[in-house]
Amino acid sequence: VKPCWILCAFLFSLSRSDGEEQVGQGEQKSSPARPSFGKKQLPSIPKNAVPITKAASPAPSTQSANGTHASYGPFYLEYSLLAEFTLVIKQKLPGIYVQPSYRSALMWFGVIFIRHGLYQDGVFKFTVYIPDNYPDGDCPRVVFDTPVFHPLVDPVSGAGVRRAFTKWRRNHNHIWQVLMYARTVFYKINTMDPLNPEAAVLYDKDIQLFKSKVVDSVKLCNSHLFDQPKIDDPYAISFSPWNPAVHEEAKEKMFAHKRRPEDYNKGLPVSGLSWVKPGSTQPFSKEDNPLQT
Amino acid sequence: MSWLSRLNPRGPGTRTGRHAAPTSPCTADPETCLMVFENHWRQVSRVLKQRESSVGGYADDLTAVRNHTDQMLCLLAEERPAGGDIDSPVGPILKMVVAENILDELVQWHVRRGLDPDSQLELLKLFEMLIGQSHQPLLLHSAVLQPLLNLLGACVDPQLGSPPALESSLVLLLNQVCVCMAKETAVLELIFRCGLVQQGPTNLLIFSLLVPFIHRDGSLGQQARDALLLVMATSASNHSVARHIAENSYFCPVLATGLSALYSSLPRKIEVRGDDWHALRREDWMAVSSLVLFMNSLEFCNAVVQVAHPLVRCQLLDYLHNGFLVPVMGPALHKSSVDEMIASTAYLDLFLRSITETSLLKTFLRFILLHRHDNDTILDTLLTRISSNSRLCMVSLSLFKTLLSLNCEDLMLQLVLRYLLPCTHVMLSQRRAVRETDLYGKSADKFLSLIPECCRITPAPSSERDDEPAFWGKVLGSPTSESPVHPRPSTPSRLALFIRQQSSGGQAIPPSSGSENAPSSPRGSVSSPLSPDSPVHQLPDTSEGETGYLEYLRDARKGIELCSWACRDWSAPYDGENPSPNSAPPPPPPPTSHPSLNMVQEHFSIMDRPQQRGAVVAAARAEWSSSDRDSGEWDVTISKNCISLTPRSKKRSLLSSSIPLQSSSSASVSTEMTGAVETVSQHSHSAPHTALYNGMGQVELTDSVDEKMEVKKVKRDSDVNNSMVESGMNGSMGIGSVDYNDFHVGSTMKSSQVQVKPHLQHQTSVPTSTQECLESESQRLSPVPALTETSTVPCDSRGPESVERLIEELLERAPSEPLTGDSKCQGISIEAFHQELRELEERVRERRVLSRSSEESSREYRTAPTPSLTDEDCLPVEIEQRSSETKPESYATGVFSPARPLGPPLAQPYTGPFITVLFSKLESMMQNSLYVNILLTGVVFQLACYPQPLLRSFLLNTNMVFQPSVKSLIQVLGSVKNRIEAFAATHEDFPAMLRKARRFLVARGKLDWSDSPIGVPTLRRSDSLIKSRKPSLGDLILRHTNSPTRARHAAQLALAHVRDGGQSLHSALFRGGAAGGASGLEKQAEALRVKNAVYCAVIFSEFLKELAALAQEHSVALPFPPSQGAEE
Repeated sequence: VKPCWILCAFLFSLSRSDGEEQVGQGEQKSSPARPSFGKKQLPSIPKNAVPITKAASPAPSTQSANGTHASYGPFYLEYSLLAEFTLVIKQKLPGIYVQPSYRSALMWFGVIFIRHGLYQDGVFKFTVYIPDNYPDGDCPRVVFDTPVFHPLVDPVSGAGVRRAFTKWRRNHNHIWQVLMYARTVFYKINTMDPLNPEAAVLYDKDIQLFKSKVVDSVKLCNSHLFDQPKIDDPYAISFSPWNPAVHEEAKEKMFAHKRRPEDYNKGLPVSGLSWVKPGSTQPFSKEDNPLQT
Repeated sequence: MSWLSRLNPRGPGTRTGRHAAPTSPCTADPETCLMVFENHWRQVSRVLKQRESSVGGYADDLTAVRNHTDQMLCLLAEERPAGGDIDSPVGPILKMVVAENILDELVQWHVRRGLDPDSQLELLKLFEMLIGQSHQPLLLHSAVLQPLLNLLGACVDPQLGSPPALESSLVLLLNQVCVCMAKETAVLELIFRCGLVQQGPTNLLIFSLLVPFIHRDGSLGQQARDALLLVMATSASNHSVARHIAENSYFCPVLATGLSALYSSLPRKIEVRGDDWHALRREDWMAVSSLVLFMNSLEFCNAVVQVAHPLVRCQLLDYLHNGFLVPVMGPALHKSSVDEMIASTAYLDLFLRSITETSLLKTFLRFILLHRHDNDTILDTLLTRISSNSRLCMVSLSLFKTLLSLNCEDLMLQLVLRYLLPCTHVMLSQRRAVRETDLYGKSADKFLSLIPECCRITPAPSSERDDEPAFWGKVLGSPTSESPVHPRPSTPSRLALFIRQQSSGGQAIPPSSGSENAPSSPRGSVSSPLSPDSPVHQLPDTSEGETGYLEYLRDARKGIELCSWACRDWSAPYDGENPSPNSAPPPPPPPTSHPSLNMVQEHFSIMDRPQQRGAVVAAARAEWSSSDRDSGEWDVTISKNCISLTPRSKKRSLLSSSIPLQSSSSASVSTEMTGAVETVSQHSHSAPHTALYNGMGQVELTDSVDEKMEVKKVKRDSDVNNSMVESGMNGSMGIGSVDYNDFHVGSTMKSSQVQVKPHLQHQTSVPTSTQECLESESQRLSPVPALTETSTVPCDSRGPESVERLIEELLERAPSEPLTGDSKCQGISIEAFHQELRELEERVRERRVLSRSSEESSREYRTAPTPSLTDEDCLPVEIEQRSSETKPESYATGVFSPARPLGPPLAQPYTGPFITVLFSKLESMMQNSLYVNILLTGVVFQLACYPQPLLRSFLLNTNMVFQPSVKSLIQVLGSVKNRIEAFAATHEDFPAMLRKARRFLVARGKLDWSDSPIGVPTLRRSDSLIKSRKPSLGDLILRHTNSPTRARHAAQLALAHVRDGGQSLHSALFRGGAAGGASGLEKQAEALRVKNAVYCAVIFSEFLKELAALAQEHSVALPFPPSQGAEE
């Protein structure tokens, strides 16, 4: 089984974390045309997938009137989302993993691991829906697969978080902030303007009961962990019990993996040439050359 | 370099058969063998014992000894080590040899009776056989080793070296010894100690015997080098041997200075094969024996550096720097003849590409970056060459491409980053934005929007089989259609889809994407090729669609990935904060003040006085905001501390050109402009030089109807004051001041310009010498010497009236012109011919204008020339006078402005000579030859792959606001776009020409793979123009075939193709040529001008896509973590 790419994509976060969430890291369904190991990019659209761009409304970034280079429009949306995703990766959000869906770059699957606090040990799967007029639309929606008991999570739909970004401002707001916020609410509970008034009231009035409800909710969520993903998508995150035969190798690969350029092996003659002493801007300021030993 | 692994098969194993006599008794049991051996030995020792009685010896004795010895040594060689005894697994024969010191006695006997060359040879061969074939580690026994050393000592005179007859046997023997040594490291120690006892300080005889053969050619040299390398590798861990090599042997000095000697025998002039030639490929130099020799030795150096002990390595590098680079390469790169400059630049490029060892590269880079030759670093010198005539420019661009591909921090620091570090080029408020990535594709959009309207191909009605809708459209149109899915393991996700979608229109993509640029390719472009079998190129005219964008994205991704991978160990991120802009040392000022510097200055207008600067800046800013980059005009301003490019509108320059030169200090922008214009006209009128010097298309005429009309008008109203100035500007130099660049190479801008000035001085005194020097100049510069020569004569001696005659003469001459006599050159020389014609025509035209306006114009010069001079003479004289009167360091000031500079302006942002020269070259894209543009855009592409935010934001962030005096890439491109559109507007058949040009380029791109069955791997895709844009023709032809005949055949085919393509294009251009039909010459010149412009339009559009793709890929690129020491 080829290790799934998302794991590599999050290698940064992983290598930082203490590895607590090995509890059955998602083993993914194999999917056609899976990108090679180490790809950080959005997965391919399967051949029969409906592409995310709105057929009707042209991409917002192609205002060009003449329309000749409007054909590049799709690239802009794709790349904007790719760039957002890259930002997420660079942020190294602790305990959060996301992966764009196989079918649409506008839908990302995610999972959040809560490591302490009231929701400790919670593992909440969620889906991020990005409006198709991104980045000019609303804030992306975060919907939890199982509505966790939380003042800011709708007990029925599981929707949450959105409130934090009343107005989505391109260049200022990024998807990683949404994810970050989604994580924060489980550590710092805020009852203002709740989506689940019951939880909010309980938190303010009867913290003990709230706590026990939370514990129940966390248990409930975790009991559904190994369920089939709600959305049938090759790249949906699915959990399975730890199976050394499957996971051990994948885990090792994840930890051992070093991202390399695609053509790394094909004659990249010399690389990393630098004799500049850190802090200096003079060439050949490094006294001794550690590059050659 | 797999030198060592290459050596392995050379072990004794492969050499059996030579001495493996079928009658060999070795098959017999060891007992018998020993008995036979003893028997032989008895016979021999009987002879040896007789030595006292007969000193001279009898021939019979010698023969007998030889025969027996042969047999004995064969037996010894064939003997297997004793199986049972583990402690001393020595066969019985060897045991006996050791015990009785048989070999020593034999050698002693030979030595005593006087070794004649014949028996020396015999013995050497015997020993070689013995050591090469023995199954036992013989050399571990001093009973074998010692006689061997004695023999060697006897054979070789310490002073004279070895006799030539012995050389091959000697080297072979030494080689064998070294092979043994490599297998049994103890042997080295033993040899070393034996030597120590015997020879004293000059021990390690084996080693010192090999050193003289280091630079030999042929297999002899190769064997010697192999052997030496083995010694190096074996001694790498042996400190005392290494010290001995470093201190007591001549190894390093011989190696390094040998390179110098070999370099000096390299051709000074590289026979140029085509007008796209710009770098030495393996195929090029394999045929040049001196170069082969040099490269062998260089590769050997590389290998030694790779394997040798650090002591030896350091010493060698030291010697290379001080014994080869500084005393030989340095001066070679500064030679004054263009041919030599071209050759030395190409050599340096080749060397850099061939070296693989980091520390050797460091030595070279150190030399290039830090060594000062006549006050200038090698880098400075090389930089100036980019703006020179086309061949030198191409070779230099190629060299810089190689340099950029090294991804070396030190280099990039010197070249670009140190100028960007202080962040003075951005507005203060923008500094933050340096690190921002272009999240929403704004920059990409901007780049793409610069594709000229006229280049957006509307499919030709008939020829288009598929009208290339957007890929996405296809997807949308058939969301459920089953496009064939080809598992392409390495395809980056989404892109794979696009490609698949594309292919659904065509046919399946065979999953053969393993192509790669050969690392040895001169165009080791970071972007590596895709499978050329992408279906699209099978369609007739798809290249005219925009199919290429995906490929560009992929190329961009690869380029960025490789680059950021290679830069991951840099000392700093260069993101505008680290290193801090405040702590960064001020970058060096533009090198204007070195009289010795052969720097190609851009135009000098007077920007010295602060108030002037203020005015200019304000004006520029105002213009900028109003005209929104519509103006294609720029002033390149050079003052003490900066070269800056300032926007200038056409209107303004026209206006200013009508103002006569003022020496008043009421300096304003227009004064400066006038100065600029003045200079331009000056230089454009020093026609022969400039025209020749600029080679490709630098003397281009107009870029718009208006300007052309201007010229014509000027011709009519030639009595108008200043008309010359105007015509000079609008005619020759209307393109923009950037063009000065090239002019100044060849013109006497400064006395420092060694190239031309002497000639000009001659001109004043001896008019006829002008012609001579022109001729010589042209011969040097021109690929078609004869042609130029003839053209010069009538031009100088007869004047404008004889133009028609001259043309006739030329045309007459041209066909029979003895080019290189090689059929394959014809296609190319046609180009050259056109070039010549065009330049000539240029001169003629200028002369015409001049002849009518020279009187008027002459009084514009402060140093009025003697009125009695004829038209032909007056110009050079003017120039001469000007140049002689002018102080070198402040030419413009001296002539045009009485005011001396008050001092360098404060911290004027300067983005460095590299950026400046690249941008100005880019700005003159319309006039550049196709090949210059291909290389040029390739270099910029490579530069834009660098992930460092400072560089990336400078080149690719189109939203950045720079200081007004700082030119941005987008501005440069904008001006090129305007020119292309203006050009297209004046040529109604532009779309047709564009299609033809594209088709030609695609065909050119296809050449490489269509011809050779094995040639596919190194190529880029052929469906898009990029491919044809990148590698040179010669490269394409020659890269994939090693057989010279096949290569030649391919070349002929290809060149025929090109010729056809070129000519059909030409004819097409002719038909539509707007030259007005005054003369065939003008037509042809016009045609060439049009051709360059049309090709430029194609390249330009593709280049923009490339930049857009880079901008997009940068926004999604992930950095690589540093490698943390020795991780690979």
